[in-house]
Amino acid sequence: MELYIGGYAQGKLDYVRNKYKEREWRILDGQNAGIDIMAEMETVVDKKGSESILFYHFHLWVKKLLAEGKNPEQLTEIFLEKYPGCVILADEVGNGIVPMEAQEREYRERLGRILISLAAKAERVERVICGMGQRLK
Amino acid sequence: MFYLVIGGSGSGKSAYAEELMMGFSDVEKKYYLATMQVFDEEGKKKIERHRKLRQGKGFETIEGPRAISLSAEKMGQGSAVLLECMSNLVANEMFGDGRICSGEVVTEKILADVMELKKRVKHLVIVSNNVFEDGITYDVATMEYIRVLGRINQALLLEADTAVEVVVGLPVFLKGGKKVCGC
Repeated sequence: MELYIGGYAQGKLDYVRNKYKEREWRILDGQNAGIDIMAEMETVVDKKGSESILFYHFHLWVKKLLAEGKNPEQLTEIFLEKYPGCVILADEVGNGIVPMEAQEREYRERLGRILISLAAKAERVERVICGMGQRLK
Repeated sequence: MFYLVIGGSGSGKSAYAEELMMGFSDVEKKYYLATMQVFDEEGKKKIERHRKLRQGKGFETIEGPRAISLSAEKMGQGSAVLLECMSNLVANEMFGDGRICSGEVVTEKILADVMELKKRVKHLVIVSNNVFEDGITYDVATMEYIRVLGRINQALLLEADTAVEVVVGLPVFLKGGKKVCGC
């Protein structure tokens, strides 16, 4: 698994697409609130081909799960078991004022911890800023 | 040479950019292209602080809150210019008329203006702001503004000879310079 983090509108998707031009991506988009990623997963079966799986807007999926009272840590584990070679894209959301709303604080805290554990497992971690990747791992 | 300097608020990006400018010994004149518009006391104070920082460094200040290609006309080929800050320029171009200008139009206009400026002068330093990492979903116009600034920063990095992020006053090179990243 590879993890790409970075601020909003920093060109993460373009960066990854440019980096792996030959790959035909199967994009699972966490922004699309109407789509159940776990159900979507069932339609993508080949474990060997999991490096073509690109999880876009991972942070929004975590946010949605929290709002629904689900367990994003556990579901992330299940996802990784199924797609060990996937590429995950997530926004950096923690570099601001700590929000007033408890729900927003919870979201930043939980997402931060999940990203730490993903980074620990990842073969490669990069931070994208102004469209440029900084390799962190 | 074209330098892009990015950082958060209070990161020391201005001081770093001015240091870069001080290092140019091969120019006839140094300009400070100020894009910030002053509306209140807080703005005045900020500008005062920046003026003091620049004092005695031999900059001529040109106010260019919008249409910076017009400001460029005043500058000679052998000069260096520090444009501060891209985030103000984008805000002024997008919201300056009391109406909202389309992000696409603003992006194209600013990038064309920057290229014009770059052609005119010997060294160009552009300071931009890292406003992308707080995870807040603002109103529609603000989100569009953030996207425009993000796109412009990406395009500037592609054009830049050196791009650097300033963190606690220290440079982290994204392009050129001492390479510590860029995979």
